[in-house]
Amino acid sequence: MTNRERAMNILHYKDVDRLPAVHFGYWGELLQEWAQQGKIPAELAVNNWDGNEKDRILDGLIGWDFNWSCTRGANSGLYPRFEEKVLEVLPDGSKRVLNGSGVIERIKPGITSIPAEDDYTLKDREAFETLYKPKMQYTPERVDFEYFRNFNETRDKDRPIGLNLGSVLGNIRDMTSVVGMSYLMYDEDEELFADIIDTYAEMQYQCVKAVLETGAKFDFAHYWEDICFKNGPLLSPEMFDELCAKHYKKRNDLCHEYGIDVISLDCDGVTEKLLPTWFENGVNTMFPIEIGVWGDQFEPARKKYGKGMLGVGGMDKTALRKDKAAVDAEIERIKRLASMGGFIPCPDHRLMPGTKFELVQYYAEEIKKIRL
Amino acid sequence: MSIYLEISENLQKGKAKAVKELVQKAVDEGLPAKEILEKSLLAGMDEIGERFKNGTVYVPEVLVAARAMKMGFEILVPLLAESGVKASGKVCIGTVQGDLHDIGKNLVKMMMEGKGLEVVDLGNDVPPKTFIDTAIEQNCQVICCSALLTTTMDVMADVVKCAEEAGIRDKVKIMVGGAPVTEEFCKEIGADVYTSDAASAADAAVELCKR
Repeated sequence: MTNRERAMNILHYKDVDRLPAVHFGYWGELLQEWAQQGKIPAELAVNNWDGNEKDRILDGLIGWDFNWSCTRGANSGLYPRFEEKVLEVLPDGSKRVLNGSGVIERIKPGITSIPAEDDYTLKDREAFETLYKPKMQYTPERVDFEYFRNFNETRDKDRPIGLNLGSVLGNIRDMTSVVGMSYLMYDEDEELFADIIDTYAEMQYQCVKAVLETGAKFDFAHYWEDICFKNGPLLSPEMFDELCAKHYKKRNDLCHEYGIDVISLDCDGVTEKLLPTWFENGVNTMFPIEIGVWGDQFEPARKKYGKGMLGVGGMDKTALRKDKAAVDAEIERIKRLASMGGFIPCPDHRLMPGTKFELVQYYAEEIKKIRL
Repeated sequence: MSIYLEISENLQKGKAKAVKELVQKAVDEGLPAKEILEKSLLAGMDEIGERFKNGTVYVPEVLVAARAMKMGFEILVPLLAESGVKASGKVCIGTVQGDLHDIGKNLVKMMMEGKGLEVVDLGNDVPPKTFIDTAIEQNCQVICCSALLTTTMDVMADVVKCAEEAGIRDKVKIMVGGAPVTEEFCKEIGADVYTSDAASAADAAVELCKR
């Protein structure tokens, strides 16, 4: 049985020989740590991305079967992106950098993590109309047509690969920062925030359509959002539904027309309050279900929505920093979730610094012993 | 509708311009600055804080309300100073060393100011010693530490240790919060109070300052 068959059979409640050992990548600092400890070759610690060659080589060293967050799609972000430039170097050595999304980030030597935002460009209608809207249009250059026409023959046949559906709101958040997005929602120009979302979403829809029309076949489709945190969503569920639901529906309906029935969505934090909008509009697979840091849960969603609600994730990755007993306890817990069907265990986010290489190997080995 | 209620309601809707105009109108009508602050701005932020805790408003509503409060507050600052009105307590707050993320910290700061506390904002990437030195020099009753990252939350333990070493542990309360922080972690490092959201943090700080 291939890993592709294993994964898709589980998500369709069909028989499988065993659970696949699935992961969601690593923090760069962890790979550096492992390289310094001599656990992995140094070259695997740089430019290692979801599903690329280095990631797949590392899978072999650890014993993973595949990385779920492995997708292909059009270039559906801002195009062209803003030219990155250093705006200011401060006395302590930190820099203020204009990034490709038009956000000014603070970068300090020795600190690498999720970007910290200082300021942003998309503040009003003028900035939207002149600087952003032109970068939010569909053009054929966004799609590598040749690659997708050959995709079915050239793709990895063993691992599932998803169609990248982009992001309805997460990318907008990236362009404005959390604070800026909040101010835009309450801007005196009441239509502005909706206009931004609608413009961006239409371009992304056209990108998805163009890829599907090439005949490329995908195992699933996948969004990235990251619009929740510890206490729930970053905006009211009502506003989210009003602004975003139609865009999920349009994109997901298109996927359904092309036979894709597993549509997953990557959102960190506690996602419960946004699930109705996602689920009712065609998103049916929660990922990565961050139970460890944020306490997100899969079981309540399954109870509420039934077998139509699928999941990938939900394994508390912090156990992989502890010891075998902690990993064993976590495996016992997720084994129960997996036995419900329609659920693939996977660490609940990227593995972080301090994660023990041998424990990850042990986890991957033990997961593969589980027969459903 | 009283002008106080009008200011409070506009604040809760995030109407910064209207709040600024109404506060100026209240001042021009001769209403006492302390009363304008308490009955309109702080009352409005209190309402938003409660609704945030109950999960009926979200981060954007808090941010725009706080922005509106700030616009109104700026008009009152000189008047409050003239009339000798003092804050109900003093807190120093910062995101711990190694962490540049300050959205959570800023939310807590806004909520604390909305409760009438004076807040010394140390910014982000704050070394433990800076929290302690500030608390001593500025006579803060509470040190409030924030972290977004699992990799930086351990610095909070250093802040507690640093306070012990400086001999001020019994004089200052230490609050911790942020995405990866939990009640269990708070106890483990010997901090005093953990809260799960910004509004609860402000409530807790007010209580600590009363002691």
